[in-house]
Amino acid sequence: MSNGLALTLETRPEELERLTAAIETLAEQDNWPAALTFKVNLVLEELVLNVINYAYDESGHQLDVKLTCNEEDLVIEITDEGKPFDPLHDAPDPDMDSPMEERRIGGLGVYLVRTMTSDMQYRREDGKNHMTVAMSRDE
Amino acid sequence: MELKSTREGTNLIVDVEGRVDGTNAMDFQSALEDAIQQSDQGVIMDMGQLQYISSAGLRVILLVAKSLQKQNAKLLGCALSESVREIFAISGFDKIVPVHESRADALKALED
Repeated sequence: MSNGLALTLETRPEELERLTAAIETLAEQDNWPAALTFKVNLVLEELVLNVINYAYDESGHQLDVKLTCNEEDLVIEITDEGKPFDPLHDAPDPDMDSPMEERRIGGLGVYLVRTMTSDMQYRREDGKNHMTVAMSRDE
Repeated sequence: MELKSTREGTNLIVDVEGRVDGTNAMDFQSALEDAIQQSDQGVIMDMGQLQYISSAGLRVILLVAKSLQKQNAKLLGCALSESVREIFAISGFDKIVPVHESRADALKALED
């Protein structure tokens, strides 16, 4: 079994391609079912784009992505040195029920992450944002 | 991401293939806007070959659904994979974009 991945990304959206490629490689090595690959992609994209879009006022920074897997779970940790931002409390509540014309999209990414993970924790430590999520392999 | 469109009467069928994510959601939006005409009454998004979509792609679908509603047209989805269907259900998008099993079912729904 493979033990995961560790990547440092620049804070620009194009870096998602590198992240996606790394996830696909790991998924293949570690024999993930398609549904799990989809979820890991989604969780990582939403969290990483949050950092890229909101943590810094300008580009040219970096963030660290770490993924470890064992028999049952995957644990993802994202670390950045940007502004304090706790997606669990600072992201807007998603708008799930309004009629189409009034519907807002903000907060949907974080909401999707929350539903696809079994645990989601934020901490601010040493001037860094640490976002840790866990997800089960067999959902 | 690749988008192919065909027209059946006053309905447009759009095949979305590949991945729609934060890197290409803007391209997805402009490709859809280019394909849709004012005279279209129904737009069916066939997602049979859509491998992946994130909230960036859902945002585009919501924008397109809103703008179609302004021209009294409907947006329908069909042939969603299990993972995409789950995203639609979790996000409540299946309430704003009715989802059908097949393209034929979606066309039939537009006729009714």
